[in-house]
Amino acid sequence: MLPCGTFNEDYGRDTAVIRTRLQWIITILAIVLVLLVPLFGSYYFIGLINKISITIIAVLGLQLMMGYCGLISFGQVAFMAIGAYASAILTATYGWPFWLALPVSGIVAGITGIIGGAPSMRIKGFYLALATLAIYYIVVWLIMHLNITGGVKGLHVPPPTIGGFAFDSDEKIYYIIVPVMLLMTYFAKNLARSRVGRAFVAIRDNDLAAAVMGVNLFYYKLLAFFIGCFFAGIAGSLFAHWMMYVNVEQFPLTDAVFFIGMLIVGGLGTITGVFFGTLLISLLIEGVTFASPVLTRLLPALGMAPAAALAASSFGIIIALFLIFEPRGLAHRWAIFKASYRLFPFAY
Amino acid sequence: MQFFLELSINGLVIGMLYALVAVAIVIVCKATQVVSLAHGQLLAFGALFFYLGYVALGWPLWVSGLFALALGAILGFAAERLCLRPLIGQPLFSGFLMTFAIFMVLDGIFALILKGEAWGFPDFLPRGDIVIAGIRVHISGLYSIAICFLTFGLVVLLFQYTKMGLGMRATAESHKLSQSVGINVRTIFSMVWIISAVVAVVAGVMLARYYDIRFMLTMVAFKAMVVAIVGGLDSLKGAVVGGLILGWVENVAAGYLDPLVGGGIMEVAGYILLLFILLVRPYGIFGLVRVERI
Repeated sequence: MLPCGTFNEDYGRDTAVIRTRLQWIITILAIVLVLLVPLFGSYYFIGLINKISITIIAVLGLQLMMGYCGLISFGQVAFMAIGAYASAILTATYGWPFWLALPVSGIVAGITGIIGGAPSMRIKGFYLALATLAIYYIVVWLIMHLNITGGVKGLHVPPPTIGGFAFDSDEKIYYIIVPVMLLMTYFAKNLARSRVGRAFVAIRDNDLAAAVMGVNLFYYKLLAFFIGCFFAGIAGSLFAHWMMYVNVEQFPLTDAVFFIGMLIVGGLGTITGVFFGTLLISLLIEGVTFASPVLTRLLPALGMAPAAALAASSFGIIIALFLIFEPRGLAHRWAIFKASYRLFPFAY
Repeated sequence: MQFFLELSINGLVIGMLYALVAVAIVIVCKATQVVSLAHGQLLAFGALFFYLGYVALGWPLWVSGLFALALGAILGFAAERLCLRPLIGQPLFSGFLMTFAIFMVLDGIFALILKGEAWGFPDFLPRGDIVIAGIRVHISGLYSIAICFLTFGLVVLLFQYTKMGLGMRATAESHKLSQSVGINVRTIFSMVWIISAVVAVVAGVMLARYYDIRFMLTMVAFKAMVVAIVGGLDSLKGAVVGGLILGWVENVAAGYLDPLVGGGIMEVAGYILLLFILLVRPYGIFGLVRVERI
């Protein structure tokens, strides 16, 4: 639903993402504001935005795989780990520049994703979810037992540099992470509207019907795995260079679980939903982490460090509530809200 | 050879317990088509309830056993009634995600109760070893296998020879058809969850004997999923066979390969087996191959 007076005068306007003048103003203002955040934001706040941006990149990849193509994956964190380790090994061991290692680590993760996604030829749905879980455990085991990854000790990663300037603090690397996140969002949004995105949706809705309609299942499912894991690899690479250290414990299975939760809360099959879901769940977890010392003081029975447990419980409750009351997620609510304010004085 | 046989026997004892959890998952999956992750928590809470009765309150074995079974049944019933029933009519995948949400909620509560510790679980079965054909076998392991087979047998009897079991089998075939012959599918769903929770509690109490009550106990749910898929998601027989295979593979692989590669094979062996089975037989060893239509 578009506001009154928006006309589709040519094909370019019809397909544009940003349609009205107000949307342009808001978009530009938002980008300027986001780029100015390090000037006035606190250290903690900038770190939080970095973390959320990296999560958004990984969840965007999962959205393309799971929300658009219907390939459920518990392995997103494993592919993030592959991206992080690929980037770490390339820069720390082989001395590559970050700018080359970033896309290469995405591609490495994508290619391992194709290998990991190969079972999707014969299985789907829940079976595939378990297969990706198996891949997660195998990847973690490999990371812990290979020599090149430094085993359980992990690897130190140099910060990205350009000329002699090192992006070695949260505020500095913010200017790498956030633009990359915006770029990936742009890419994901456009991919979802393209021929490829439509093929993904067809596969999700009914893969047999899609095959009958002439969608090459083999090609598109593996492409979905490649793209989803590419996003995860980029996210992992950024994460490694932000932390300047990688360790297998930075990629717990709980994160894969949280990613899927973010998709449910945001809404499967929308790019906007990724932002809503990631923000809500990340802020929920941060909030619980903040609130837990207070709660411990009020209720000593909770024990010393209830943060993780409370985060898990509240996350579960939120997911359950969304599944029962709004299975289409916050993005659907947002669409309803947009439609109603554009129509405002009238009901429809 | 002796080493191999001992590993095999340990594997089969643990594998039978995996099989029991997988049976609980398969029971639910057959009737409601929802693959449940929540059973990992049901079994952990079953072990907690048993601990509460047997150790904390000092009740006799059978009273605390019944207590754990009753509370576990209530938990299973509550999970179905509060969380899964509102989802009837929605895609099956949201049912899976809901059991996942239940898992997370109970996971948090479980962690709050444990406070990061492990509670030593009492060994309530008779102790001692017997020697069969030169191999030393723990008597408690034999008891454990016997209890598993007893539970499994009761489940099979219930499914085959009672009216409710007939209703459950009918529901597994088709919800619409069974409703049209007067079966109350919702009641069946509740009953199925109660029964599978009871089975999970039995498995949980027996598993806690090996692992103690610790945070990782709930992760057995993932192994049980692997078992259920290896055996075929809609086959009780498959769950048992799959459980025995997984337990055996894990133990034998860990015994022989761990010294070579530096540990951790126990965790991965099952998943490698799973990938292999999925590539060869996507619907599991005994699973029904569904013919798909557009």
